[in-house]
Amino acid sequence: MRTMRSTVRRSVWAVPVCLAALAAGACSASPASSQGAGRSSSPLVVGVSMSLSGDLADLAGPAEKGYQLWADTVNAQGGLLGRKVSLKFVDDASNPTQAVTNYENLITADHVDLVFGPFSSLLTIPAASVASRYGYAFIEPSGGAPQVFALHLKNLFLAQPAPILSSADAFADYILSLPVDQRPKTAAYPTADDPFTSAIIARIQQRLQAAGIKTVYSQTYAAETVDLSPVVTRLVSDKPDLIVSGTGGADAVAEVKGMVQAHWTPKFLFFTGGPNDPTFPSQVGAGNVNGIFSSTDWIPQAKTAGNAAFIQAYIAKYGGTAAGIDAAAAEAYACGQLLQLVAQRTGKIDNATIISALHSGTWPTVEGNLTWDAYGSPQGADDVVQWVGGQLLPVYPQSAALASPIALPSWAG
Amino acid sequence: MHLFLQATIAGILIGGVYALLASGQAMIFGVARTVNFAQAIFAILSAYLSYTLFGDLGIDPFLSVLILIPVMFALGYVIYAVLLRPLNKSSAELGLLVLYALAIGIQGVLDFTYQTNIRVIAPAYANYSWTVAGYQIPEVRFFAFLLAVVVLGALHLIRQYTKLGRALRATSQNPVAARLLGVDVDRISAVGMGLGVASAAAAGAAFGMVIPFNGNSQYDLLSKLLSIGVLGGMASMPGTIVAAVILGVVESVVAATISPDWSAFSFLVVLFAVLTVRPQGLFGRQLRGEL
Repeated sequence: MRTMRSTVRRSVWAVPVCLAALAAGACSASPASSQGAGRSSSPLVVGVSMSLSGDLADLAGPAEKGYQLWADTVNAQGGLLGRKVSLKFVDDASNPTQAVTNYENLITADHVDLVFGPFSSLLTIPAASVASRYGYAFIEPSGGAPQVFALHLKNLFLAQPAPILSSADAFADYILSLPVDQRPKTAAYPTADDPFTSAIIARIQQRLQAAGIKTVYSQTYAAETVDLSPVVTRLVSDKPDLIVSGTGGADAVAEVKGMVQAHWTPKFLFFTGGPNDPTFPSQVGAGNVNGIFSSTDWIPQAKTAGNAAFIQAYIAKYGGTAAGIDAAAAEAYACGQLLQLVAQRTGKIDNATIISALHSGTWPTVEGNLTWDAYGSPQGADDVVQWVGGQLLPVYPQSAALASPIALPSWAG
Repeated sequence: MHLFLQATIAGILIGGVYALLASGQAMIFGVARTVNFAQAIFAILSAYLSYTLFGDLGIDPFLSVLILIPVMFALGYVIYAVLLRPLNKSSAELGLLVLYALAIGIQGVLDFTYQTNIRVIAPAYANYSWTVAGYQIPEVRFFAFLLAVVVLGALHLIRQYTKLGRALRATSQNPVAARLLGVDVDRISAVGMGLGVASAAAAGAAFGMVIPFNGNSQYDLLSKLLSIGVLGGMASMPGTIVAAVILGVVESVVAATISPDWSAFSFLVVLFAVLTVRPQGLFGRQLRGEL
């Protein structure tokens, strides 16, 4: 009991002490965040909490590469407004709590000049609020979930053309652009029970249903489901013209393999995730990819600002081929491009200027020409991509297309 | 009706793979007196090894079983001798925690080595299937089922008709009495653990061809194994085989004809119904404080 009382007493004292410490932290953070970075010749330090370990580490790896490549590129060009860029990566172990701690430390203890966002919506949601509290701009590569923009933060900007929720909108546009007699008559919507995929699928289903495409199957399965053969059995039985599937990767592979084994193909097959993974052909069989649709925010062939230079620099630094570059690398690289553009257009690179500048105008990056609403949700659209001749190519909208959409051929087996 | 039968076929075929994995679990429970929380990751480990043998050396996944079984048997034997045997003398419950920690550790090593990207073992025949009377039978799933039948048959022969099998059964039923009758219980238990892990090796190679996997796949698999064990009776090999096929069929039929959302729940309904009548499971015996 005495211990408890003394603990309470200590806690009472601790409140003003903590408040003072917080205020001190905030005060000590303010100078760094408000400094006109262009006036200094010291390196411009950009702090990033990155999932160097934990569940997201493999997925976040390309984002780290994209950030580093941008820093190397801009430094080779003399830096930003004469200042060399120095990236300070700290590991968040794929943990939201650690990401919050990291940004607190980067801003209040390390006094970094700027910050970039972490990988995934999971980490972006809590981290963006920290940056907002200290007045830091929060350009981020991959937090596109609706919950990110529901924070209503004016310092946040997603460096992608569209939020996740609307990532299948362009495919719906494509289907509805077809002459009525060529449109699918029936559709099936299997989806993983995942907040991203199920929301995307609900949105596209609503549009296609409203346009008269009859829903013959609409079911969710647990996200951790490993055996999708019952779902495929049902799809094969219902034989819809169109399948729009809310997938993350492994489930897309399982569905394709199931349909190949059943010797059945729908007329149109769209997955939210999976086909844009460079290893997809090796997983389902190279002869079984042609005709499959997906959507993406970036592809190597995109004719976007600085994309050719990005790919050339990426291959020079990391090796591999253009087809093997993960979109996450381009998303992170685009974050850096936005900083460069702000510096070029305003002659300044402080947080207030970045936030103010990005809220107006159009910003050309490898991810396309970006604009945002008041809370950082991008106002563009993803491209519809399709495997054509063994390559994943943009096929819709026409302005971005490098190939015409093809009909789904019979599986090669 | 066609949908129902097609889903039943799919359920029986995948149920065979689960049966193989769960029978190893039952054997380990019998000799080690603890639930092997690492059985699923042993299968995933085997799937990765088979993936490497196929990808790097071109060894057919079904042939890779001939390499994996002795390797995994040795691993199981060593795990029992080094980690579980000392615990059995004090507290068998600790074995469960050790095996769970081992599962997490092995997944960490696999994630580091192979990364967390989804893998699938894809031999040329992976996408082939036969059509029999209008029903599709995927070749790879059929062969996986056949492999399960062969390995389960071999395990049955060993248990029923060899001296080792008698010692295994004796150790499983009453280790104290077995020791009094001259059975080297520690060695036999290690052999039992080895056989259980070896069955995971065969099941893992089959699993890796049938279903895309990564380290995280162990959790869904483990939940199935535990459900099968409870339904069939934790130490009962025939019980786990029957329970695994029931799980495969119920989940498949419900997912295909009603909704995938209800498939796992429907199996739990069967499980609760059986446990109401037979708390020890379908083929289980009453345990008197072994755990």
